[in-house]
Amino acid sequence: MRLLASLALLAWLPGAGGPVEFRNVAASAGLTRAFPNGGDRTKQFIVETTGSGAAWIDYDNDGLLDALLVSGAGGLTRLYHNEGKGRFRDVTEEVGLAVASGWGQGACAADYDNDGFTDLFVTYWGQNHLYRNIGGRRFEDVTARAGLRQSRVRYNTGCAFLDYDRDGHADLFVANYLKFDPQTTPKPGENPYCWYRGIPVNCGPRGLPFDRNILYHNNGDGTFTDVSEASGIAAPDQNYALSVLTGDFNNDGLEDIYVACDQTPSLLYINRGNGKFTEEALLRGVAFDENGKAMSGMGLAAADYDGDGWLDIFRSNFSDDRETLYRNRGRGEFDDATVAAGLARNTRYVGWGCGFFDMDNDGWQDLLLVNGHVFPEVDRLGIDIHFRDRAILYRNLGNGKFADISESAGPGLEERHAARGAAFGDYDNDGQVEVLINNQNEPPSLLKQAAGAGSHWILLRLTGTRSNRSALGAKVRVTAGGRTQSDEVRSGGSYLSQSDLRLHFGLGAARRVERVEIDWPSGARQVLRDLPADRVTAIEEPRGTL
Amino acid sequence: MRAISVFAVFALLPLAAEDRTAEAVDAFHRGRYADAREMLEKVVQAAPGDGVAQTFLALSRAATGGCDTAAGELGRQFAANQDASLRRLAGIALVECHLARNRLADAWPVLDALQKEFPGDADVLYETAKLHMRAWNEAVFQMYQKTPASFRVNQLSGEIFEIQGRYAEAAAEYRKAIEKNPAGLNLHYRLGRALLLESHDTAKLREARNEFEAELALNPSDAVAEYQVGQILLAEQNAAGAMARFERSVSLSPDFAEALVALARLKTEAKQYPEAIGLLERAVKLQPASETAHYSLMLVYRNAGRMEEAQREKTVLDQLKRPPEGEFTEFLKRLGEKTPKP
Repeated sequence: MRLLASLALLAWLPGAGGPVEFRNVAASAGLTRAFPNGGDRTKQFIVETTGSGAAWIDYDNDGLLDALLVSGAGGLTRLYHNEGKGRFRDVTEEVGLAVASGWGQGACAADYDNDGFTDLFVTYWGQNHLYRNIGGRRFEDVTARAGLRQSRVRYNTGCAFLDYDRDGHADLFVANYLKFDPQTTPKPGENPYCWYRGIPVNCGPRGLPFDRNILYHNNGDGTFTDVSEASGIAAPDQNYALSVLTGDFNNDGLEDIYVACDQTPSLLYINRGNGKFTEEALLRGVAFDENGKAMSGMGLAAADYDGDGWLDIFRSNFSDDRETLYRNRGRGEFDDATVAAGLARNTRYVGWGCGFFDMDNDGWQDLLLVNGHVFPEVDRLGIDIHFRDRAILYRNLGNGKFADISESAGPGLEERHAARGAAFGDYDNDGQVEVLINNQNEPPSLLKQAAGAGSHWILLRLTGTRSNRSALGAKVRVTAGGRTQSDEVRSGGSYLSQSDLRLHFGLGAARRVERVEIDWPSGARQVLRDLPADRVTAIEEPRGTL
Repeated sequence: MRAISVFAVFALLPLAAEDRTAEAVDAFHRGRYADAREMLEKVVQAAPGDGVAQTFLALSRAATGGCDTAAGELGRQFAANQDASLRRLAGIALVECHLARNRLADAWPVLDALQKEFPGDADVLYETAKLHMRAWNEAVFQMYQKTPASFRVNQLSGEIFEIQGRYAEAAAEYRKAIEKNPAGLNLHYRLGRALLLESHDTAKLREARNEFEAELALNPSDAVAEYQVGQILLAEQNAAGAMARFERSVSLSPDFAEALVALARLKTEAKQYPEAIGLLERAVKLQPASETAHYSLMLVYRNAGRMEEAQREKTVLDQLKRPPEGEFTEFLKRLGEKTPKP
């Protein structure tokens, strides 16, 4: 009896968590089509290695998240409508998205024209595409009309909408990896940058020319202006940029931009509030690992994992690197907390999509990352590094530390894929977050927990009125059961992916939310009290002055 | 046909001795060693005092497998020729001759002298590398042939496997070495390292730690083994245990920069900034080019609110991080590769 009582107590301790069992339900959900992305046994060029992303967006405002999967050459980027009851239907042709093919890389979403419907941006090695959502029924390619056609072939990778100047219109950041031309890029084995552990592999990124990142300002009339030079975004020119993560890292009310870079220092653009950014990753402690060495940064995630009110950053890296967890020590200065948090042991994986999410609704942000090597040729070596690999799941123990529970978290975690993008969202509004993963040359994975949500939760859907309609940059603090959690609405993130624009909070045993406090990008502050748990709650920004 | 006729006419014309020497030297530089040798034999016979001809004859003989007849002259030319470029050529050819005749001991002093006179010369360094490789191969061959049952054979096999990235096989060889010589120093350390290189999973960390502890039981003053145990404890979330081991490592070897940095990081985490700064300032003095030490010092200055000093360290770090001028483009050009157009 005494033992039972102790166990019952344990269940409510932070981070104690219950059993977790993730299953891949993609096939039963109708997500059975494979998305091509270069060679499976060998890859000639680097462009075959970096795709592609995934996205959760509710394009028709029916309250259910729809799934987008970006394709490499030889396939179409596809949109699947959420039919309810766990089923998805391919609506790519029906909604007018069967217009572009090529080396699709990433996706991000926001209502850039504030018409009430979420629009889509898809990046390519080649030309990007902006798809305007027409009334939730179809998409129109407005790239050229919006001023987003590029004058040369660029290797666009991660993207994110953000309202950096808080003018109520979502601007757009696009990361650029490098300059790539298949005609001039050496073939596997042709120079020392084209070898991996004694086997010839596709060349790069080292040895290939750098490119620069791009910031487009939303003019508010459906068009964008490239402000990369004027804003300072284009200043760093020695980085191979992949994923993009927005957030107010120094809590000054302005959205900053963090960019994971491959084999070069990662970048942190601090928003100065006058239309300009300064790159400050080194001194702020997020350019390198704890040894001062540049990692091969791939995916990104942000959360206040330790509950101190400051946004922390996680970055997935290459094999033989550690993953990196940067703890925000306040004011946007970071310490490398990888070892202290218990994340330093998985060094055999190339990590890509990643995200913080509260898988067990205990009020602490857990962490999932998906893996797969860039070189299929690595399988010939017979070592413990593989082209297709399993995902890694960490439980947040609530004391600044994480426990790797991958091997006991269900068959969905054990499947091996060459995974890339991962999008996080509650597609069936059951209070548990699911994960959509884009696997190279295979059908996607859809990780869903076998058991229902044990604890309580709330999903907040924010709509801006004076702020941008997607509420990008809105900061939310939720207090329940005596604890306060915080998060921000953001576009982009993970690896070249778009997660649910709604914010999910696990509430543990609390059946009601005592207080929700929102700092809107417009400067408005809104406080709501005593909200019921276990439901999706829509919150509109007050129209008048508060 | 016409071109050949013109050359044929030239060949029939009598040439002055120095012209014949020049023609032979040209042939040598074009890699026509046999032709050069034939020409130079005649020149030297006709004019035994022609120093250049003597040197190139010796070089041509060496290049055509005549080391026995060339070595003496090459030695004389290397020792006494007034022309540095000829001395260099003679020295390199002499080394090649010694290697060809398997006289490694004779090659070392020649290479020493070449390195002193031509430091940074690619050909001289190449010959040096070649000689070391030959010496290594020779020693390994001898060891495997004469002492096949020795623990050293297993130790060396382990080290070779390690270089090849075959860590499991390396660990197996170290284990055999330990079985043969349980008191041998460094064997447990190498085994622990191979295990860590193989994997960082919990079981491997434990195994590796046992090996480092075994090394310390044999040699309690091994600062590096202490440091490795500290790193494992750190990975196991035992910061207090790790700190004690790093402290001991530093006390055993006060100039061990990596241990200073590791200890300083833990002091930084514990917000003991003055102690951390002291350790890191020592580390950057010991290793002024260490990016890790400068980076850690920059961050602890920042955390301590000493922003001016943090900026100074950032500047040093920026300098250290700067790639050598034209690193990639020059490198690619040498490989004949086209760089993609902007």
